[in-house]
Amino acid sequence: MTRELDAGALELGGGLEVLLAASIDPMQPGARLLVRTPSRATAYELHGWAHRAGHRAVAERLPDGGPYELEIERGAHRGVLADPLPARASGPKPADGRMRTSELRWQAEVPASTPASCGFAPLGSIPELGAPRFDWTLNDRDTIWADDVAELVDQAGAAQWDAASAVPWDAALELSEFMERAVSQVMTFIAQNEYAALYVPARFLPGVNPAFPEMVMWLSRHVHDEARHIEVFTKRSLIGGQASYSLASTELSLHSLLEEHDFSGCALLLNVLGEGTFLDLLQFVDQHAPDAATRAAAALAHRDEVRHVHFGISHVRRRIALDPAERAALVAVAERRASKLTQMSGLSPLLVEGLTIMAAGSLQPAELSHGADAVKGLMKTMETNRLKRLAAAGFDPQTAQYLSDLHTPNLM
Amino acid sequence: MSRRGAELRIGAVSYHPRVVTIWEKFIEHFEHSGVPIDYILYSNYPRLVSAVLDGDVEIGWNTNTAFVELEQQLGEQAPILGMRDIDAEYATVILTRRGEGFEQAGQLSGRRLALGSRDSGHAAILPLYYLRQQGFDAETGCELIRFDTDIGKHGDTGDSELRVVRAIARGEADAGAIGEPTLAAFRGERLAELADIEVSWRSPTYYHCNFTALPTLDRELTQRWSEALLAMSYDDPPMRPAMTLEGVKQWLPGDRSGYEALADAMRQTLP
Repeated sequence: MTRELDAGALELGGGLEVLLAASIDPMQPGARLLVRTPSRATAYELHGWAHRAGHRAVAERLPDGGPYELEIERGAHRGVLADPLPARASGPKPADGRMRTSELRWQAEVPASTPASCGFAPLGSIPELGAPRFDWTLNDRDTIWADDVAELVDQAGAAQWDAASAVPWDAALELSEFMERAVSQVMTFIAQNEYAALYVPARFLPGVNPAFPEMVMWLSRHVHDEARHIEVFTKRSLIGGQASYSLASTELSLHSLLEEHDFSGCALLLNVLGEGTFLDLLQFVDQHAPDAATRAAAALAHRDEVRHVHFGISHVRRRIALDPAERAALVAVAERRASKLTQMSGLSPLLVEGLTIMAAGSLQPAELSHGADAVKGLMKTMETNRLKRLAAAGFDPQTAQYLSDLHTPNLM
Repeated sequence: MSRRGAELRIGAVSYHPRVVTIWEKFIEHFEHSGVPIDYILYSNYPRLVSAVLDGDVEIGWNTNTAFVELEQQLGEQAPILGMRDIDAEYATVILTRRGEGFEQAGQLSGRRLALGSRDSGHAAILPLYYLRQQGFDAETGCELIRFDTDIGKHGDTGDSELRVVRAIARGEADAGAIGEPTLAAFRGERLAELADIEVSWRSPTYYHCNFTALPTLDRELTQRWSEALLAMSYDDPPMRPAMTLEGVKQWLPGDRSGYEALADAMRQTLP
């Protein structure tokens, strides 16, 4: 059967080629398309288009005055080296005007594993053959997944903030010298740790198989959150004009964190233990910082870190539930790191000093005593909450206590 | 890949760096097909023709002009082992600015006609020949503007045809001849100069490139090689990029019937 196409005033280079392709591509090899045009020039030029597109011009009619016709037989090759697109069906549905990330899987479950060689094929797309082979490293769902990762992606997307304007920066300008030194040191310490919190997920990101877009989005948002934390705490440390130290003991702790290359191991060390402990630190700063800028920075970062800690707990719990042997493997991860930190003994005195002055609000002995009590309370709170988080992640009380004891004195 | 075991050496002209990409891929295909080849590149067709005649290569990937020259020098018919689908439906078109077209060849009289390289069958030799067949001698009736670039490459580079298009667009020529596939490629690339240019004349179709051997080449070997060539598929993912670069979607068997016009034209115009 020959299908007919009236080209109207369209010319090649002016849209006719799009109409031709849309008409002939879906046809069966050998089927014919009769193109009619009022332009003899276009009729002539259609031959070249047909041959270039892999079809054959089989008959031509050029009557004086037109209209002119060229009959084109569709070639046998496939336009795209893939199976034909399936018929249009229903897609994911938004609810209350929102399109949630979990809806990406409206059609099929998350696959347990996916070939390491696959490319950047968005969900639902049909990959064309002939693409280069990739070699992703994270191809098994269970080694990276958390059941609520899609929801966390949405939460992270909705909770972005602007470090340039979300903090009342002017409020940080009038602190006394001793207080500014204390705040600047604490801010520098936090910023230093936030670097590691960025570099660890960032290193996993390019290994994630693109068939797990939720993980790609989650790690990207995690990284983006940490970039904002580096920004906000660096800005706060600088704004008062008071320099402070980036401490070697912190470097040692973070260096050992970056030496861990197992995804779940990092989820335990960074998300559950490190960022978990930082939740209490940030809350302490939010409560005791002398200025609204520092308090706001800590409160905003805390909001993000809650998500990261939630992911870590959710991932580790799932991992252990699927494979109880993973529990021992994770303990070994913590032991391995602790063995590299044997030279560390307690939180840096400079940091303790800074936190104490913050909590005291002055250098008056009575208030300093109150500040020292607050820091002791913080350490206790950190341990209590660490044990709770480890329990939530699937560790029994004894193992949780052991892991908490192994945790770095640097907090992260 | 080792080419020491090559049963056949294919000569081709390096009109563009992509020729290496094409032949490196084709080598893989013939290796897998059990007819291992090597390729040798020449900078121009006269040298390739000599290489075939001298036995430096067993098969030449010739333009139609090179093929006719080869047979004229050989003094007998040379076996054709295959060609591209587009080689079997080649044509030349004459372009004019929109609204300045012509219906009959004679209406070109007095106009400036741009041509591509003088050794290009499709952009110089055949348009003059076919116009003459239609009763119009453009060499005396037109002011010819020749763009003799890349002589020896028989128009493969497309450079002279691009100059033809530009000359028409700038008003430096009134009409110009280029290969039909070249026009289709320029349109596909959205060449801006083509915006107000249209086709006024289309030549009869003729054959273009082919793989040529000498009659002395082992018949069974040429047969196996031709079969391997024809088996190359555009739907084979590894081969598609190389075939696209070569401008072929399907290889066709050799056939002699489409070179008479060019042979006639070359007898008339070349000493």
